[in-house]
Amino acid sequence: MGIADRPFHHAADSEVRAALEHGAVLQREAVLRREAALSRAAVSDEDVLGGPVRFPGGIAMPVQIERVLGFGRSFSFWPLLFGLACCAIEMMALGGSRFDMSRFGMEAMRASPRHADGMIVAGWCSIKMAPRVVRLYEQIPDPKWVLAMGSCAISGNIWDTYNVVQGIDSLIPVDVYVPGCPPRPEALWQGLEMVRDRVKQSAHAYDGLRRIPAREAIAEGEAGP
Amino acid sequence: MKVWTTSPTLAAVATELERRFGPRLLERAEFRGELTYTVGPSDWVDMLRFCKDASELAFDQLECLFGDHLPERTAAPLEVVAHLVSHTHGHRLRVKTSLAEGQALPTVTFLWPSAGFDEREAWEMFGIVFDGHPDLRRLLTTDDFEGHPLRKDFPLQGTVGGRIRTDLRGKI
Repeated sequence: MGIADRPFHHAADSEVRAALEHGAVLQREAVLRREAALSRAAVSDEDVLGGPVRFPGGIAMPVQIERVLGFGRSFSFWPLLFGLACCAIEMMALGGSRFDMSRFGMEAMRASPRHADGMIVAGWCSIKMAPRVVRLYEQIPDPKWVLAMGSCAISGNIWDTYNVVQGIDSLIPVDVYVPGCPPRPEALWQGLEMVRDRVKQSAHAYDGLRRIPAREAIAEGEAGP
Repeated sequence: MKVWTTSPTLAAVATELERRFGPRLLERAEFRGELTYTVGPSDWVDMLRFCKDASELAFDQLECLFGDHLPERTAAPLEVVAHLVSHTHGHRLRVKTSLAEGQALPTVTFLWPSAGFDEREAWEMFGIVFDGHPDLRRLLTTDDFEGHPLRKDFPLQGTVGGRIRTDLRGKI
């Protein structure tokens, strides 16, 4: 039976469901591992999540409210309309009617980084393009999430040459990696589901890296005389 | 002269070129109805100008101009190839020339302005200098890139020649 004769809805959906369930199992295991590590290290959940977000003036936002906000955000995650290479074709396929990412509130791919909640680095990044990618990432307002799509964005793939960045995570913090050359739209879909989970948890790849000047000023004021 | 091309218009091109240049055409080849001539670097501009201006030829478009590195030819390892198209007559021609290491070739940007990008790329990738080019800067790699990456002696592996200029991100 050729691929054209295959009843697409049933076969593909069940495969996708199996893949998503597999991903959910992996994620549950990761959560269990994290909880075990937390109990061993005797640190609070708040320490891992970066503590309550403080606004200027010292008003703290509890983690619970941040989680409610994250729950809301996860249903309208707008990625940046930004494709670097052939992986962008699969990204467009996910946006098209067959896979239809608008079911999850992700169809509004913004052409301006000011409107976006995150970016999908779809394809290989050349050394000349690298400063532009970093600038686009910096222009996305906080909070933001990054998905590295395809082998080239993850590691440079076979292009260990003069012109290709060997993994976009050497430039910007990456939340989710989707391997493949290029990944199928289902794989990108699963990756975006994992991004949504991170949005719900308000977990960021840059948690350990970022400096928030307002928060630092508050900390200095509390520690000072 | 023996007419050895299949297309009648291309036969006219061959007749015209051989009548005009004669022994200055170093080599000629035909493959599947495509015509190729090789000239010396000193005849490069004369040849291309004639190809553009002669009414029987009228090559009004420079489709592509690129370099080539053949290190096994020790005397003249570099090669420049120009692909010409005539929209008037509907025929095509390929013109080649060989260069020694470090030898410059006169520019043809005054004939076809589109040669500007092509010659920049050939210089960037192979180190072929084009005399009289108005703006011979790097095109595809960063400005501070060192070396000519499509030469056969350029390292195939590893991030060499350039580096990631994240310090430039405020300027672009």
